[in-house]
Amino acid sequence: MKTLKTFLLVAVLVAGTAVWAASPERYLHVRVSNPTTHELVRVNLPLSLAEKVVPAINNGQLQNGKVEIGDFKANEVNVRAILDALKTAPEGEFVTVQEPDSDVRVAKEHGQLVVHVTDKHDKEKVDVTIPWEVAQALISETSENQLNISAAIKALENIGDATLVTVVSNEESVRIWIDSSNTTEK
Amino acid sequence: MILLARIGVGLLGSAMVAGAAVSSEGFISIRVHEKQADGTHLSLIVPAALVPATLHFVPRQHLAEASANLRPYLPIIDAAIPALKECPDGVFVEVSEPEEHVLIRKVGGSIVIDVNDHDDIVHVSVPLRAAQSSIHQIAAANGEM
Repeated sequence: MKTLKTFLLVAVLVAGTAVWAASPERYLHVRVSNPTTHELVRVNLPLSLAEKVVPAINNGQLQNGKVEIGDFKANEVNVRAILDALKTAPEGEFVTVQEPDSDVRVAKEHGQLVVHVTDKHDKEKVDVTIPWEVAQALISETSENQLNISAAIKALENIGDATLVTVVSNEESVRIWIDSSNTTEK
Repeated sequence: MILLARIGVGLLGSAMVAGAAVSSEGFISIRVHEKQADGTHLSLIVPAALVPATLHFVPRQHLAEASANLRPYLPIIDAAIPALKECPDGVFVEVSEPEEHVLIRKVGGSIVIDVNDHDDIVHVSVPLRAAQSSIHQIAAANGEM
């Protein structure tokens, strides 16, 4: 009888731990809306799905979960080198470019890579926030001209709810974010 | 009399087992409603388990093009379908325009696609398990895998 009680207690503990440990599904959401044409696109992508599918795509520049960024290099912009350099840089503003048509600001704020672009001509504002874990994952286990998309997706699963990209223009607004809800109603 | 009763029970049992086997993989549901006055109205519910069996009777030359088109995507399909099975139910894609509404979602073990546009209302529901085996069968129709 005592053995049975012990067994039941252990079973309840194991079951409870399993339920507690089960993490909810994380979703990458994309919402594109155009109030003028009344168009709305909503995408809710489970990250677990992306994590399994992306490594299976071997097409063009995306191979084994890693994307070749040779074109960026050709334009004298080495994304990997920039991320690598930012890793050890202190918090603060790194680049501010102010031109008649646009303002660009790149900074490391609260452990996140933040990019703000304002296009004055098209009246478009772009904000990109990349959590530092994701930025580091992007350049992990890669050669010079690669970004590790699979690793970035895994890193995204472990960050809290966050808005990654917002684009607001006269015509359209775009928002990309991460959370545990399977709808875009937020 | 007892013999007849036994035969009856045997037949009933066999029918129930066959029914259970046929419906074990769920049902493919297709509804098409063309909005014009003389448009087609089609409603089809097929046991998904019958699709792989039916594909055996389709001449291979009719599946050749589909097979060639599918083959490059088999690794992606094989990765996606088991992952989709494990995903919670929910809406994956929704497109709303003044004259068009598209909804792609997972309901139970099925992928459900609904399109409502200017011309048609289309509803397709496909059980994931049946989709994978059928896709493999179509891909294999054009020779060696």
